[in-house]
Amino acid sequence: MSSTVMTPPQFLAGFDEAAFDACASGEASFICTRREKAFNDYGMIPNPTSRDEEYRRTDPMLFRMGRYARMPTIATGRLQKTRRWDEAFDVVVSITDHRLGLSEDLPAGVTVCSLNDAATSHPELMEGYFMGAASPEEGRKFLELNNAFWNAGLFIHVARGVVLEKGILIHYDVEAEHAALLPRLLVIGEEQSQFSIIEDYQSSHETPFLCCSAREFYAHAGAQVKLVTLQEWGPSVVHIAEDWARVDRDAMVDLVSLSLGGKTSKMTVGCTVCEPQANAYLGGLYFANDKQHFDQKTLQLHAAPDTFSKMLYKGAAKDKGYSVYQGIIQATHGSIGVDAYQTNNNLILDKGARADSLPGLIINADELACSHGATMGNLDPEQLHYLRTRGIDEVEARKILVLGFFEEVVQRVPHAPIQERLHDMIERKLGDTDE
Amino acid sequence: MAKLETDSKLVQDYAFGFTTEIEDDQIPMGLNEDIIRMISDKKNEPDWMRAFRLKAFRHWLTMTEPKWAFLDYPEIDFQDICYYSAPRKPGEGDDVDPELARTFERLGIPMNERDRLSGVAVDVVFDSVSVGTTHQELLEEKGIIFCSFSEAIQEHPDLVQQYMGMVVPYKDNYYAALNAAVFTDGSFCFIPKGVKCPVELSTYFRINAENTGQFERTLVICEEDAYCSYIEGCTAPARDTNQLHAAVVELVTLDRAEIKYSTVQNWFAGDEEGKGGIYNFVTKRGLCRGAHSKISWTQVEVGSAITWKYPSCILEGDHSTGEFYSVAFTNNRMQADTGTKMIHVGKNTSSTIISKGISAGKSDNSYRGLVQILPSADHAKNYSACDSMLVGPDCSANTFPYIESENDTAVVAHEATTSSISEDQLFYLRSRGISEEDAASLVVKGFCKEVFKKLPMEFSVEAVKLLELKLEGSIG
Repeated sequence: MSSTVMTPPQFLAGFDEAAFDACASGEASFICTRREKAFNDYGMIPNPTSRDEEYRRTDPMLFRMGRYARMPTIATGRLQKTRRWDEAFDVVVSITDHRLGLSEDLPAGVTVCSLNDAATSHPELMEGYFMGAASPEEGRKFLELNNAFWNAGLFIHVARGVVLEKGILIHYDVEAEHAALLPRLLVIGEEQSQFSIIEDYQSSHETPFLCCSAREFYAHAGAQVKLVTLQEWGPSVVHIAEDWARVDRDAMVDLVSLSLGGKTSKMTVGCTVCEPQANAYLGGLYFANDKQHFDQKTLQLHAAPDTFSKMLYKGAAKDKGYSVYQGIIQATHGSIGVDAYQTNNNLILDKGARADSLPGLIINADELACSHGATMGNLDPEQLHYLRTRGIDEVEARKILVLGFFEEVVQRVPHAPIQERLHDMIERKLGDTDE
Repeated sequence: MAKLETDSKLVQDYAFGFTTEIEDDQIPMGLNEDIIRMISDKKNEPDWMRAFRLKAFRHWLTMTEPKWAFLDYPEIDFQDICYYSAPRKPGEGDDVDPELARTFERLGIPMNERDRLSGVAVDVVFDSVSVGTTHQELLEEKGIIFCSFSEAIQEHPDLVQQYMGMVVPYKDNYYAALNAAVFTDGSFCFIPKGVKCPVELSTYFRINAENTGQFERTLVICEEDAYCSYIEGCTAPARDTNQLHAAVVELVTLDRAEIKYSTVQNWFAGDEEGKGGIYNFVTKRGLCRGAHSKISWTQVEVGSAITWKYPSCILEGDHSTGEFYSVAFTNNRMQADTGTKMIHVGKNTSSTIISKGISAGKSDNSYRGLVQILPSADHAKNYSACDSMLVGPDCSANTFPYIESENDTAVVAHEATTSSISEDQLFYLRSRGISEEDAASLVVKGFCKEVFKKLPMEFSVEAVKLLELKLEGSIG
C-alpha cells in the first residue's frame, strides 16, 4: 500500500544498534522478541524535530540525548531503607540506579514484581498485556525507545475484587550523572479491584540525567484505579513520559500528573474509554518557574457509546517558565452518548513567563456533548484587592489565591501527606523570587 | 469535459450553478514565467508590478504545499489550470454585453447603474477581470477610490506600491505566493482621512470559464478616522471538475479607522458524491496599524468543496480591536478548515472570536484559530467561543484552538462545545405543531444568530435564506 521508500533507520543519539546490543542480558525470550521488534519500529520512526507540530513548542534538541548513557537493567532486591510516606502505604517499591527494591509481605491478591520476574511467574499475563493494546497512537518515537531500551520494569497486578486501602508507593531516585533511566510500568486491575498507585520521582539536587518512562494501565470492568505521579526531579533532569490507559465497562481510571521538578519535561497521557460506562479522569498540575519547560499532551479517546471523560489541567508559569498544554478529545464514528470535557487554566505570574494552550476536539459521532475551555491570565486583581482589604499582605494574598487555584487538582490526590507536600512545593516556588 | 446534468435537484440545491456561454479570451494553460509575463502584458502593467509577480513566482517555486490542515484532497496540478480568462467584450455601463448582464441578473447582482441597489456600490469580477464598478461618481465626490485592482495599478500606483503586500507579503504562504504571481484582478478601496463611506462597498466574484482558477486580490485601506463596510459574494457554475480559487485580501486601518468586512461564500460545493466544486484557498488578513482602530470580519461559508481560510487581525496599534464572526456550514462531502488568527502586539488590544460550525452529511468541518499575545501586548484581552453542531451520524466536527500568551497582564478565555442538534429543543417545537424540518431550521438559525446579526441587513436576510436552502434535505 504505502509507497514510502525504504529509508535507513534513524536513532536518537546514544540509543543506536551498539547500545541495543549491549542491553541484551538473558531475558525471557518473548521479552527479547518484543525488545527487538520495538527497536526496529523505533529505528523506522524519523527522529522528531521542531518542525513536527507536536514538537514545535518543545524542540527535541532540548533533551540533548547524546549526553546520557543507558544504565544496565536493574536487578530486584529487598528495600534498603525507608523513605518518606512509606508507612502510609500497603506496598512500597524503590527504584534506584542499582536496585529495584520491594517491600515484603504483599497483601493477598496483589502481585508486584519486576517485569523480568513476571515473565517467569505470570507469562500468560505478560504475553497478553505487555506492550499490548494500550497505545492507540502509532509512530511515537520515545514510546518505542522505551519499549526497546527499558531498564527498570515493574509489574503490578491486582486480582479480581481486591481492594487496597492504602495503595502502592513507588519511589524513583537516580544518583549517577548522565545516566538514562527508562522505567517501564505495567498495571493490570482485574474486575472490581480498587487501588491507587503513587509514583514519587526525586533526585539529588545537581545530578543531570534523563528519565524516559512508559506506562501501560489496564482497568477491567468495574475496576477503580488511581495513579498519581509526583515529579520532583532535581533542576537538571530531562523527563519524558508516555502513558496509555485502557478503561473497560463501568471502570474508572484517574490519572493525575503533578509536575514540579526537572528542567525540560515532555509528557503524553492518553486513555481509551473503550466500553460503555467507562470513565476516565485526567488531572494535571504544573508549575514552571526559573527556566523550567513543561510540555504535556493528553488524549481522551472515546471508542464506544456512552463513555465519559473529564480532564482538568491547571498550570502556572513564573520567571522565565514556559508551559505547553495540548490535548485532544476524540470520538470515533458511532460513539453516541459520549460526555467529555477538557479544562485548561493557566496563570501567567511574571513578565517573561509564557503559556500555550491547544485544546482540541475531533468528533466523528453525533448525539454527544464534548466541550473544552481554556483560560490564561494573572491573578484576579479584584480577588487580590478583597484579600488586601482584610489585612492580608500582598505576598500572602497571592499565595492564598495560587493555592486556591490549584486546590481542585490537589484534592484528587488521595493521600494527605502528599497534598501537604504539594502545598509546600507551590509555596516554595512562589517564594523563589528576587522581589 | 461533460457538464453536470442540471436536473431539478441540482438547481434546487445550487441555484447559481448555470454557466454563461460567452466568448472568452483565455491564455494557454500552465504556469511559468512566460505565462506570468503574458498576464502582465494583457493587463499592460508597469515594470514594478511585473517584477513583483516574478519575484513571488520564483519564491513560490521554493515552497511546498501546506499539509497541516484537516483536509483531504487529491494533488493539485498547477500546470493544468488556465490562469487568465476574460470575457472578450465586457463593455461598460449600458453597453454591457447582454449575456453578461443576464448572468448577473440571474445572480441578483446589479451591474447596471439603472437598477443598482440604493445603498451598495458594486464591483463585479467575472473570471479573471473586473467587468464593472458602480457608484463611481458618488464615491469620487468623497475622495473615495473604489475600483478594480488593475485600474488601481494604472491610476494609483503609489498607493498600490505602498500598501500591496504590507499585510500579506508574497512570501507569507504557498497560496499567497501563488496569488501574488498570477492574480488577475480584484477590488481596491481607499477611504481617505476622516471619510465615512456612505454606501456599502461590494465585490461580486463569479467563476465562469472551465479549467480556470480565480486569483483575485483585494486591498482595503482606511486612513485616519475613516470607515467602510465591505461586502463580498461569490458563486461559480456547477461543474464536475474542481476549480481553484486562491485569493488574497489585505486590510489596513490607520488611527481610529474601522473596516467591517463581510463575506458570503457560496462557491459551488460539488455534488452529493463530492464530485466537482471549488477549492477555496484564501489568505485574508487585516492590519490594525493605528491606535483605536478596528477590523471586523464576518463570514458565512456555505460553499466550496474545500475551504482553507483564516481571516486574521494583527492588532498593532494600541487599543485596537479585532473581531471574527463566522458561520461555516458543510454538507455532503465538503471539507472546511477555517478560523482566524488574532495577533496582539499593541497595548490594550482586544479581540473577539465567535465561530459556529454546522456539519451535515459526510462532511468535515474544522475550526482552527490562533490567539497570540506577544510580550508587548500589555492588558490584551481575548474572548473566543467556538460551537459546533453535528447534523447526522456521519459527519465530523473538529476544533483546534491555539492559544499562546507571553504577557502576564493579558486575559484570554476560550470555550468550545460540540454537540448534536438539541433533541429537547426539537421536541418542544414539534409539540407546538412545527414540522421537523422547520423546527431543525429554526434551531440552526438560532444557533447562528449571533453571527448573522453582525451582517449588513440585506445580506443577513440573504444569508438566512441561503442556510435554509442548504439545510433542506439534510435533516429528518
